[in-house]
Amino acid sequence: MRTTLPTKKLAIYGGMLLGFIMLESPIVMVANKVEPMIMGAPFLLVWNLGWWAFITALFLVAYLTNWGSGSTSTAQRSR
Amino acid sequence: MTGSIFIIAAFMIIPLLVGVVSARKSKDTSEDFFVQGRAMGSIAVFFTVAATWWSAFAFLGSNATFYTSGPVYLTALAWNLLFGFMYYWVGKRVWFLGKRFNYLTPSDLMGDFYNSEALRLLVVVITLVFTVPYLQIQLTGGAYLIEVASGGVIPFWLAALLFYFIIIVYVWIGGIRAIAWTDVIYGALLFFGMLFAGYYISHQLGGPAALFSQLHQNSPEHLTMPGPNGNMGYSMWFSLFVIVAIGAFMGPQIWLRMYSVKSGRLFNLMPFLLGLAAFGYFGSVLTGYSGVLLEPGLENADQILPVMLMNYAPYMIASLIMAAGAAAAMSTANSQIHAVSTVVTMDIYQRYVNREASQARIVTIGRLSLVGFSLAAYILALTVPGLLVTIGIAALAGTAQLIVPTIGAITWRRAHPMAAFWGLIAGILCVLFLTYGPTVSNPLGLHAGIWGLLLNGGLFVSLSLALKRKDHNVVERFVQARQEYDAEYHPERLEGEARPVGEAATSR
Repeated sequence: MRTTLPTKKLAIYGGMLLGFIMLESPIVMVANKVEPMIMGAPFLLVWNLGWWAFITALFLVAYLTNWGSGSTSTAQRSR
Repeated sequence: MTGSIFIIAAFMIIPLLVGVVSARKSKDTSEDFFVQGRAMGSIAVFFTVAATWWSAFAFLGSNATFYTSGPVYLTALAWNLLFGFMYYWVGKRVWFLGKRFNYLTPSDLMGDFYNSEALRLLVVVITLVFTVPYLQIQLTGGAYLIEVASGGVIPFWLAALLFYFIIIVYVWIGGIRAIAWTDVIYGALLFFGMLFAGYYISHQLGGPAALFSQLHQNSPEHLTMPGPNGNMGYSMWFSLFVIVAIGAFMGPQIWLRMYSVKSGRLFNLMPFLLGLAAFGYFGSVLTGYSGVLLEPGLENADQILPVMLMNYAPYMIASLIMAAGAAAAMSTANSQIHAVSTVVTMDIYQRYVNREASQARIVTIGRLSLVGFSLAAYILALTVPGLLVTIGIAALAGTAQLIVPTIGAITWRRAHPMAAFWGLIAGILCVLFLTYGPTVSNPLGLHAGIWGLLLNGGLFVSLSLALKRKDHNVVERFVQARQEYDAEYHPERLEGEARPVGEAATSR
């Protein structure tokens, strides 16, 4: 019998899903505009860089937490 | 100009030296030549995956797309992230099975799990047919750069010939080890070259903020979708995201870079590293948009970066950055040539021509295949011109179809060989029909590859549910291997389940 997904894993995968939805679903068309320009950059570019940074940071968190698995087997540690 | 030619010469000689040095560590076995004995370390893996994944398509095609079509290429940030995620989630499982059952090629895994010779052959054909055009664009991109950097002294045909000659020599002597070592140099050159080119060129206009401001005034349609031509809207945005990431990930060159990895832990880190590297595309944004203002109306958009460098940068800097571009092309081309030669050698020669071939003979055939495929790509580059991105996407749409049976093989015990076979056939036919069929327009504006994937996936799932596999021993062997994978890397999944005991799974 499989156990339910750990909360940490759910949060990591849920966060990634949110990031991809913001970048690749039709929601991105809401950000498809030049104004407001932020630090001189068009809004669409800033939107993309922002969500890219969010998912990349989540990938780092995922690595540090063994992708939410919480534990690492002896075999894996030894490799 | 002499300086430029000197840099081009250095760029060609350095990989040869690296190849010679790496060859000293090589063993004359197929596993060493093709997957470095499954012992590639973390630095080499990151650089060779990143440099192989980032090609002329990324270095030249990205600038050209921002230049001609506006911001649609920004979706590259997301496709890099998706690629990284797949490298962890799919790649780690493929690596584990490859190590467990001694796989060297994509069709090794498919043919073994689906227990089907027809499917094995189909995977070989798809792999070869759709990789060669993508190989062609690397050659075209690299040769463009050399031609421009030399001021036309080295013509396109000679640049392309030189380009392949160098690759063949160092891959011939060093196999995948030479590729990985040279990719460390290429990868670093590529990343910093893209960023520096954008930074440098945008400063001709006063820096990034001034560039965006001027572009907003002069050509605002370049800053939002669907771009200046009105044809690069959301459909293309989404299509590129799916097709480029999956198509490149399913290329045989990336499969070899899953099988070659020494430690499973590295797969956990790769999404972060590959995601971080995507920042290099910011350089392409700056270069492409600067081109709109500085060099409007260029006939061949793929040449926007080299042309601007030659016109606005000191020639030594221009040559160095173009060397980075050639690095992008070369680092992908070397891996692709090596990968297709692996497929020909292992999946065709060893399996159907000479099953008893010695290790030395297999390596020799692999080397000869390098030359054959390089020649094919060279002829294509000279005879079939086209925009890098256009050719690239068509090729990637074909290899992307392999993701469906791959996910089936690593996750689903009911995945059926007939479902995988007919799903692939339907997906590929759909791609070809929508791409080359007369007077056909793609529904909803989505790329043919997306429709191919939907058809392929739908057929795969429905036929697998309708049919039942009879080869229970094969299925159970894979179920057991997956349990061993979970026990080793995700033990929490097996809490409450009996852990697999011993080395019950048999190798092929």
